[in-house]
Amino acid sequence: MSWVFRRATPQDLDGIMVIESEVFVSDAWSANAMGAELASPHAYYLVVVDSERPDDVVAYAGLLAPEGAGEADVQTIAVAPSARRRGLGRALMLSLVTEARKRGAREVFLEVRADNPNAETLYRALGFEHIATRPHYYQPDDVDALVMRLAVPDRVTEWATALPTGAEGEAAPEPLETSEAVATREPLVLGIETSCDETGVGIVRGTTLLANTISSSMDEHARFGGVVPEIAARAHLEALEPTLHAALDEAGVTLGDIDAIAVTSGPGLAGALMVGVGAAKALAVALDRPLYAVNHLVGHVGADLLRADGTPGDDLALPTIALLVSGGHTSLLLVRDLVSDVELLGETIDDAAGEAFDKVARVLGLPYPGGPEIDRAAADGDPRAIRFPRGLTLPKDLARHRYDFSFSGLKTAVARWVEARADAGEPVPTADVAASFREAVVDVLIGKAVAACVDHGIPRLLLGGGVIANARLRAVAEERCAAAGIALRIPALSLCTDNGAMIAAVAAQLIRGGHAPSGLDFGADSTLPVTEISPR
Amino acid sequence: MLLAIDTSAGTSVALAAADPASPGGYRVRAERGTPDTMRHAEVIGAMIRDCLVDAGIPASEVTAVVAGMGPGPFTGLRVGIAAARAFALGRSIPVLPVVSHDAVAFDAFPDPSSAAAGAPPERVVVVTDARRRELYWSVYHAPSADGIPIRVDGPRLSAPDGVPHDLRRIDATVIPAGSLGVLAGRMRDRGDRFAAGDALYLRSPDVTPSRGQKRVTS
Repeated sequence: MSWVFRRATPQDLDGIMVIESEVFVSDAWSANAMGAELASPHAYYLVVVDSERPDDVVAYAGLLAPEGAGEADVQTIAVAPSARRRGLGRALMLSLVTEARKRGAREVFLEVRADNPNAETLYRALGFEHIATRPHYYQPDDVDALVMRLAVPDRVTEWATALPTGAEGEAAPEPLETSEAVATREPLVLGIETSCDETGVGIVRGTTLLANTISSSMDEHARFGGVVPEIAARAHLEALEPTLHAALDEAGVTLGDIDAIAVTSGPGLAGALMVGVGAAKALAVALDRPLYAVNHLVGHVGADLLRADGTPGDDLALPTIALLVSGGHTSLLLVRDLVSDVELLGETIDDAAGEAFDKVARVLGLPYPGGPEIDRAAADGDPRAIRFPRGLTLPKDLARHRYDFSFSGLKTAVARWVEARADAGEPVPTADVAASFREAVVDVLIGKAVAACVDHGIPRLLLGGGVIANARLRAVAEERCAAAGIALRIPALSLCTDNGAMIAAVAAQLIRGGHAPSGLDFGADSTLPVTEISPR
Repeated sequence: MLLAIDTSAGTSVALAAADPASPGGYRVRAERGTPDTMRHAEVIGAMIRDCLVDAGIPASEVTAVVAGMGPGPFTGLRVGIAAARAFALGRSIPVLPVVSHDAVAFDAFPDPSSAAAGAPPERVVVVTDARRRELYWSVYHAPSADGIPIRVDGPRLSAPDGVPHDLRRIDATVIPAGSLGVLAGRMRDRGDRFAAGDALYLRSPDVTPSRGQKRVTS
C-alpha cells in the first residue's frame, strides 16, 4: 500500500466530511462551509488517499493563504483513525508550509485545542511556537485554543529534502508523492539517564544516533565492592551539566534545536533517578518543550532502534522476547509494541546477574566490577570442571518460576566450594571456578530466554544491559538461537550499557506514535513496573 | 528576574524581580512551596512552571537562577540544585549559589530601612533538621544598613547540644525561596561573592570500604 497526496477536488467533499464529523465531533464544520473552503481561490486543500483506493480520503488538510497577504493560516487538518501513526499529519503540514512559502507567506498561524497535546507536540516539532491562548475558544466543550506561529523557513533548510516534492506541482489533482512523502523530519530528542552509576545524555533524531555521552562513577564504587547509592547520586549531580554540554557538542546541536526532552523515571536507585528527573523537568520548562518520562527497561529494548555508527536504525522486529541483564536488573520481557505493549515474563527473585558476578569476583579475590574480571579469569578455565547449581530450573521451580531467575544460591555455592578447598589446604583453581560459575549463569539466562521464545512462538531474541558485554554470554546466545531458529539481536555494546540515547530513542517513538508527553507531575519510581512505559 | 529554587528542606520556588519601588530594590513576584520532604522530584517542575504562570512571564525573562545549596540531609537537596543548573543551562544564564540558612536569617532581622526597625537582636542561630538526631546550624550577626545579615559561623552539623544556646534561635522547616531570591539579588547588586557551587551535605556518604569476603560456611 502507498499513500497518494493530491489537491482536493469538490468530489472529495463527502469523504472529507466523513472524517470531519468523526474527528471533530462537537465542533465539526458543516458540509456547506467545507465545500466553500474547497472552492475558495485563497485556500489550498490537500487530501491523502490509498493508491489502491484513490477515491477514499484518509486524511486532509487546508491552508488559507491569500496571495500577497504575507501570512497564512492552517484551517484544518485531520487523519482518519485507521490511518494514524504513519506520519501523514506531519507530511500534510510540511506540504502546507511549502505552499505558504510559494504564496509569499512569511508566517503560518494555527490554533490547536489546549486538550490536544499530541497535535501540539507535532506542531512544535515542526517549529511552531505557542504565542497566545484564546480562552474558551472551542464551544460547547469550553476548551482554550493555543495560537501557534511558524516563521516560514527558507527553502534551503533541512526540510527541503523531506518535503513531498510533488507539492511544487501546480496542476491538481496530481499525485504528489508516495512513500518518501511520509519520511519527514523526525523529532530531535535529548535523553537523560541517571538510574544507577552512569550519567548518560543522548541525542537522537528519530532512530538516528547523534550523541551518546556517558560519565560513570564506577571507579568511586570500586573500593566498596558495589554501587553505593549516595555516591552515585552525588556523582550524577556533578556530572550532569558537563555531560549535557559534551553531548550537545558531539551532536552539533544547541538546546534551542531540541524538540523534546526524555528522562528515565525508573526503575533504579531512587536518589539517583531524582537528580535526572529534577534536571529534566527544569530543562523542559526552561526550553518550553514537552517532557517524556521513560521506563529504564524499555529503554534497553529501545537501544536496538539505534546504530552506534550514527546511520538511521531499523524498526524493531516485533513481537520479540528481550533479555535484559545488568548489575541491577535481570528481566525477561515480551515486547509486542515498544511504546504500548511490554509484558514482564520474569525477573530475578534475589540478586541481579551482574551483582552475582561482582560477589563471586570478591570470593575469588578479584576486583570490582566482577563481570570483566570473571571473564578474563575464565578464559583458561574449564566450564564443566565444577557443576554449580542452576537456579530455578528444577521441575518444581519451573512450575512457578518458569521465567524467573535466582543467583543468590549460586553465589553461596561458589563460596562454599572455594572455602572447602581453602580449608583443606588445597589451591583454588580460579580459572575453573570462574569458568564454571559463568557457565551456570549463562546457561540459565539463555536457557530461559530461548524457552520463552519457543513457548510464545516468537523466533526473535533481543539482548540488552551491561552484562551483555560478557563474551561467553553472547557466544552461547548465538549458538543456541541458531540451533532453535531464533533471530538474535544484540545492540552495540555502547548502547547496551546504561545510556541516555536509548531513553531518547523511546521518546522519539512515543512522539512518532502520537503519544502525549508525561507532563511535569511524575516522580522517580525505583520500582516502576515495565508495563509503565511512559508514566504520567 | 531571578528564579530561586531550594529543596534543602521541603521544596520552594520563587521569582524575584528588581523593583526600585520596593525597599531593598526587589519584590517577590511569585512563590510556591511545600514542606513535604518526600516529593521534591514530583513537584519541582510544576512549581517552576506555576511561578512563571503566576508572574505572567516566559522562561526567557529569567536572568539568573538562585540555588539553595543546603545544608540539607535529604536526597532531595540535589533535586533543586540539579533543577537550578539545568534551567540555567537551558537559558544560558548564571547560577547564583546561596547557603539556604542565609534566606532564613534574612527574614529574621527587620529591614533596617523600614520605620518599624527598632532594636534588632544582635545575633541569631538558624537551625534545620539534619536527621539522625543531628542538626544543621549557622550563626548570623545583625545586618548593617544594607540589610544583609552576616554569617559568622556555620553552616555546621552537630548533635542538638552542640547548637549555641545563648542566642535567639530560629528553627526553620521551610526555606523561603522568595527571600532567597531577594537576598541573592541584593548580594549581586552589592558585588558579593556567592557560595561555592557544591551541595552542602556536611556528611560523608554512609559507607565503609568492604573488609573482604565473609565466610558462608562456619
